[in-house]
Amino acid sequence: MSETPATSAEFIERRDPRTQSQGVEPGYAHTAQRWPSQPLQRRPLTAAELSGPRDLTRRLPRVRGDLAGYGDKRAIGQLIHLRTRVVDEDGAPVPGAVVEIWHCNAAGRYIHPNDTHGAPVDPNFYGAARLVAGDSGLVELRTIKPAAYPVPDAAGWWRPPHVHFSVWGRVWLSRLVTQMFFPGEPLNEADAILNAIRDPEARARCIARLAPTAQGPQDALVFEYQIVVRGRKAASSLP
Amino acid sequence: MTRLVPTGEMTLGPFFPREFGLGANDLTSVGGVRAEGEVIEITGRVVQLDGKPLDNLILEIWQADREGRFDNPKFFGWGRAATDSAGVYLFRTIRPGALRGRAPHINFLLLYSGLMRQLQTVMFFESSDDPVLNAVQPGVRERLIAKIQEPNRYVFDIRLRGEDETPFFDD
Repeated sequence: MSETPATSAEFIERRDPRTQSQGVEPGYAHTAQRWPSQPLQRRPLTAAELSGPRDLTRRLPRVRGDLAGYGDKRAIGQLIHLRTRVVDEDGAPVPGAVVEIWHCNAAGRYIHPNDTHGAPVDPNFYGAARLVAGDSGLVELRTIKPAAYPVPDAAGWWRPPHVHFSVWGRVWLSRLVTQMFFPGEPLNEADAILNAIRDPEARARCIARLAPTAQGPQDALVFEYQIVVRGRKAASSLP
Repeated sequence: MTRLVPTGEMTLGPFFPREFGLGANDLTSVGGVRAEGEVIEITGRVVQLDGKPLDNLILEIWQADREGRFDNPKFFGWGRAATDSAGVYLFRTIRPGALRGRAPHINFLLLYSGLMRQLQTVMFFESSDDPVLNAVQPGVRERLIAKIQEPNRYVFDIRLRGEDETPFFDD
């Protein structure tokens, strides 16, 4: 059987190494146990890799559009709106993109049972949401700003405040898991995860932008962030 | 035309919400209706360099339907599973067919704390003349072929790093 070019109109280019980590990062001990020691293999891209699930909400439903709550259920912390736009490499929005978001509370504690460090749990904060982008590729989440927290057994490495994103683009290879950071945070400079992205411009794009407060809501800061997923329309359809 | 650079990928981290890893590992039905084809189970253990099994590692799969198609409205070829404390995952699905020069296979992606970004690999059901399997050198490509445990149960163990480590792809 011979190799057959993909017939999908989606076009995926190879990862740009400047926007990615090396794999084993000296400041992050677990990577030495887990990142493959052999060079990653190249493969031809076929219909399998260049297709993807449609309407993922059939398996992954929307969950919690608001993490901050109201009144006596309001979570402790700085109220923020995260305005995130999901676009492709052409800058075109990805309508219907599923976006999972999770982060720790305003004291630095995650709801996950494996987070057992001393910062208090906030009974009004359940920090996990799943949203679906509208036609403009936009998802908006009302939440509270996460705190920094110390990484256990890591000689003083504190994670800066950050928000985890897990995103689906149009096809299997568009899948993206990343983290968003906040502007002006002193811990950004030394974070092993953010700084694993070597290119300064690529790194800067991982940091949200504070929207001007004069135009914003009275009670919340608005942070804007763009996620670019892999894939763009091919110039022409392949046979 | 605008040309944007894809966002840099980062680790899943250790606190991926537990609920997100549940309830999506059975691909055999859509909307309560069983898809056509043979039901199979795929299971395996994921380990790191020192052999330690990895708990709560997330695996996602993407596969064709029984005829090799990715656009069947009655079969949803995507699933997600989390490993348990023994490092073991389980999927229940329909045996895929294959079209257009490919052999039957299941695409895997792995996400975990300590992985700076996703890892991609592929599981085959038997030694096959397949362009992706052939891209891996002999002696190594056998690690992508699942072992049959029972007629409808396949074992696909994954070693992230070390001797006999699973081959992964960079696209």
